[in-house]
Amino acid sequence: MIILNLMANILLNVLIAFLVGSVLFGLQRKIMARIQMRPGPPVIQHLLHTLKFFIKESSFPKTAAMPFYIAITAMLCFIWVAAVIVGPVTGGSLLLIFAVYAIHKIVEHNAGSSSGSPYGKLSCVRAVFSAAAEVPLFAVLIIIYFATGTMNLDQIVSFQATHGPLIYSIPLAAIMFFVLLLSKAPYSPFAITKGKDIISGYETEHFGVLRGYLMISESIAWYMLLWVFLTVFIGGLSPLWYLVGMVILSSIVAFINATTPILNPNHSIMAQVSLAIIGIVGSFAILLY
Amino acid sequence: MDKLKVMSYLIFIISLAGIIYALLFSPPNWIVYAISIIFIPTGILSLGLIVMKRGPEEDEEDKNREPFIGY
Repeated sequence: MIILNLMANILLNVLIAFLVGSVLFGLQRKIMARIQMRPGPPVIQHLLHTLKFFIKESSFPKTAAMPFYIAITAMLCFIWVAAVIVGPVTGGSLLLIFAVYAIHKIVEHNAGSSSGSPYGKLSCVRAVFSAAAEVPLFAVLIIIYFATGTMNLDQIVSFQATHGPLIYSIPLAAIMFFVLLLSKAPYSPFAITKGKDIISGYETEHFGVLRGYLMISESIAWYMLLWVFLTVFIGGLSPLWYLVGMVILSSIVAFINATTPILNPNHSIMAQVSLAIIGIVGSFAILLY
Repeated sequence: MDKLKVMSYLIFIISLAGIIYALLFSPPNWIVYAISIIFIPTGILSLGLIVMKRGPEEDEEDKNREPFIGY
């Protein structure tokens, strides 16, 4: 068995997160297309797009707030590389994953406002709006804490090894987290920050190399959210089972996305808040009785 | 070479050097975390800024012209 030093381990995990996340996004588009009776792009199309954008002609809009316009794209990558370190590399605290997610919302907000585009600015407002609904969904952490007595990922995995997967004991919390996952998927009913009514939302004016860079971070983010779901609610899995789990979750998400329209912001927020309330109250009721 | 290119090359070289240092010398964990969180993203971004295609100089004016921004 090859023992990697810490840096090599981190590099390998970031690379895996990027490649698997990209292919899962491609798979999602493929499944959505087949459901809608279209041939759809190849599964590796998202990955190819990401790489292609790096060599496309790029320029920066005059209305962009430089250097913030570029720096905010790097911020998204900083936080998701940090999430990879907290998650698969060290098995650290779930609270740090929550912090990463909260900063992701701030990045959506600031990427929109820094571009100077009205579409970006509308998306920036929607990012704040959706944060009001998605952050309560992350209250799932409190439920996990009450169920397991820890926030540490490794200890949650050990807890499940003796008590069975948490998805059976706190199913409503798993549904809440799944809704959170769904909110981050492209074409999701809750993807109001990237609704097609505002072109590409906060990414509208980030094209060329910066779009490719954002796509790398988003692929890592998707992989990480799936990884956290599987680790927290199913338990420690082998790499193959992680992959199977991720494919299944991405397929379910693709099915939902293909068959539902993007909700308008009010409906999206109300649906998420309602689910959060049902999830929190219901989970505490299950834990108490 | 413009300012952006020079900066990109500089950041790319620093990022690469940081990553190679952490790979070869295995410094304390917190230094490796800091190097990873900062230099992996800056390395990718600076590489992107180096390899991206720039349009012809004469088109620059057209691209920078104030667009209609709706208000």
